[in-house]
Amino acid sequence: MTRNKYPDIIFIGQPNCGKSTLFNAIAGLKAETSNFPGTTVKHTHSRVNILGHILNIIDLPGLYSLAPGDEAEKVALSHLFYEKPDLIINVVDASSLGRNLELTLELIEMELPLVVALNMMDLAEKKGITIDVARLEKELGVPVVPTVAPHGRGLKELLERAVETLFHQVRPQPLTWSKDVEEAVNQLEKAIPLDFPVVANRRFTAIKMIEMGSQYFYQVLAEINLPLKKRLDEVKKYLEETHNVPAYEVVAAERHHLALKIFEKCAQVARSTKRPLLHRVDDLIMHPYLGYIVLILVFVGFFFIVFSIGSPLEEIILGPFERLRVLLFQRLGHGFWVYLIDGLLQGIGGGLGIVLPYFVPLLFMMALLEDIGYLARVGFLMDIFMHHLGLHGKSISPFILGFGCNVPAIVSTRILESRRDKIITTLLIPFIPCSARTTIILALVAFYLGPFWALGFYVFHLILIALLGRLLSVFFKEPSPGLILEIPDLKIPSLKNIARKTFFQLRSFINFAWPILIAGSIFLGILQSVGADGVINKILSPLVVKGLGLPQELGVTLIFGFLRKELSLIMMIQALGIDYQQLLTVITPAQIVIFTLFVSLFIPCVSTVAMIWKEVGRRIALISVALNLSVAIILSLAARIIFELIGGI
Amino acid sequence: MSRYRYFPLISAPPERKLRIVEVLGGHGLRKRLFDLGFHKGDEIILDARGLLRGPILVRSVSSDTVVAIGRGIAQKIMVEIISDEE
Repeated sequence: MTRNKYPDIIFIGQPNCGKSTLFNAIAGLKAETSNFPGTTVKHTHSRVNILGHILNIIDLPGLYSLAPGDEAEKVALSHLFYEKPDLIINVVDASSLGRNLELTLELIEMELPLVVALNMMDLAEKKGITIDVARLEKELGVPVVPTVAPHGRGLKELLERAVETLFHQVRPQPLTWSKDVEEAVNQLEKAIPLDFPVVANRRFTAIKMIEMGSQYFYQVLAEINLPLKKRLDEVKKYLEETHNVPAYEVVAAERHHLALKIFEKCAQVARSTKRPLLHRVDDLIMHPYLGYIVLILVFVGFFFIVFSIGSPLEEIILGPFERLRVLLFQRLGHGFWVYLIDGLLQGIGGGLGIVLPYFVPLLFMMALLEDIGYLARVGFLMDIFMHHLGLHGKSISPFILGFGCNVPAIVSTRILESRRDKIITTLLIPFIPCSARTTIILALVAFYLGPFWALGFYVFHLILIALLGRLLSVFFKEPSPGLILEIPDLKIPSLKNIARKTFFQLRSFINFAWPILIAGSIFLGILQSVGADGVINKILSPLVVKGLGLPQELGVTLIFGFLRKELSLIMMIQALGIDYQQLLTVITPAQIVIFTLFVSLFIPCVSTVAMIWKEVGRRIALISVALNLSVAIILSLAARIIFELIGGI
Repeated sequence: MSRYRYFPLISAPPERKLRIVEVLGGHGLRKRLFDLGFHKGDEIILDARGLLRGPILVRSVSSDTVVAIGRGIAQKIMVEIISDEE
């Protein structure tokens, strides 16, 4: 990346410290926020004007330490190490200061200009933690500014101190460790030759060498500088023998003890004897039995709320569009332009009447559950079931994102440590009914057949995922490394946060999907006016008519379904040439189920395929397509046979 | 008395103060536990257990964070009970 002339400021912090919220408060609406560790897996750039200076601010994925564990952390580190920021803003969760300080201490070791944003001060106060900020500033030797990001508290001071530190390039002094460890590091530092590629500074490089776990690194080092490798071995051996633990642990323990010491000096914790209300709520929703009842209630409630908001709206909005269409054909006949305008009306009406009534409440409810902190708890509750899929609870995070959209879900598999978990999760994600498919299920199945059918459909998808997971884990024999998932505190939801998040995701539908939908509808209109849709339908008819027993006209909608799942649904009505109230006169309920089943499963949408290709390679992407296609065909055929045997619905 | 007996976290009693004595496991596992604020010598409390063979919920007293840990991993974390007099 070429460096521009504006200073780079990096936001760095442990997962779930409110970093993205703080970043957004400064940059405007750029980064997605959540109460779920590991949500930011990509970095976000933004150019802002702060106190008259133009600055380049960068939000990095959260990381616990400067030794990468998973891929998301590696991304963050390469940014920090190779693009040398001009200032680091270290966002610290004041409510778990002791642990967060470990990263701060490590950042100080880099000796780059640093400002600490002591975020979530309100939460810390609620927990009974009082922090002596002036003392903390003195102990760390860097500016510390208390902030509450969602309220904008402390932002102004943070920016002032940041700009001041940036332009004076004030560099912090690393804090000293125990004498013997310090001495060992010092010895290794001296052995590093002057022309050695140093990261940040010589001392930091020496520490990182000791901490490094990769065998590959040691071999390379032995090749390029044998004396240094020998000295490194000596130092490590010394540390290991004197402390009786692996060398990297000696270093980690130094930081840990230092962090705890500073925490004890600067913070007072008043533990109340009464359990706070939120903790008692937590006892219930994490209860080994009751927790699952709550989970089912939340899931069913979620579904019914979205449906009961969406379905009346669907009717109210689609009605006028239908009347307009009827009027159009009555007045203007069936010419090319009429089909074109019809396509346009279908595209706009479909987005407005079919997608938005379900999509907006769906996004809102998802954001609400996430903001409260419930989703991480679902990870805990579901871990045991995920084990049956050969995975563990951490994979629940990509899965849950998958209910929103499969694309970010695939990206977020980066938080998984093992490639095995990553591949299985990636192959399963396309079977999760994303919001586009939920829309189809609600607007088609629930609207025409009743909400219980839709719920059943949903549950069916989940069972299917479970079965496929089992099947896949047969091919990947090595065991999953197991769950370690941080559970953030429950919190009162912030309406502002939720509204922001809903808007953020909605915007991508409006900017990206809706135009495709409108273009697709117009294109279908054109195809119909020249009769080309018939050709496509004929080609696909062996599958659509012979195989699935559906009207031939639906063939063309499958092509669009590959672009976006909801297109198939909306275009179904257009392709059949009817209005939405007449649907059940040309197609049976059984056919609706078969069609929905097939569309929902037959292939991941084009963006999902592209993302799988990018994240895990072409082979897996092709396997994913093949897997989806075969599952869709087998299940739809099976559904058809069952419906024929029992004589329809 | 029981202070000198080490046992895996999975079989520890809930709601009692425990101290991590040893983590049996490779670099990756130890590092992840360190990152989340669980070091050798740290005080922890077993908060809750999941269903049947589900994960357990552990709170670190020093950093006041809660982490869900799978059973397999909980078997590798050796702890001792800290007696109340301390």
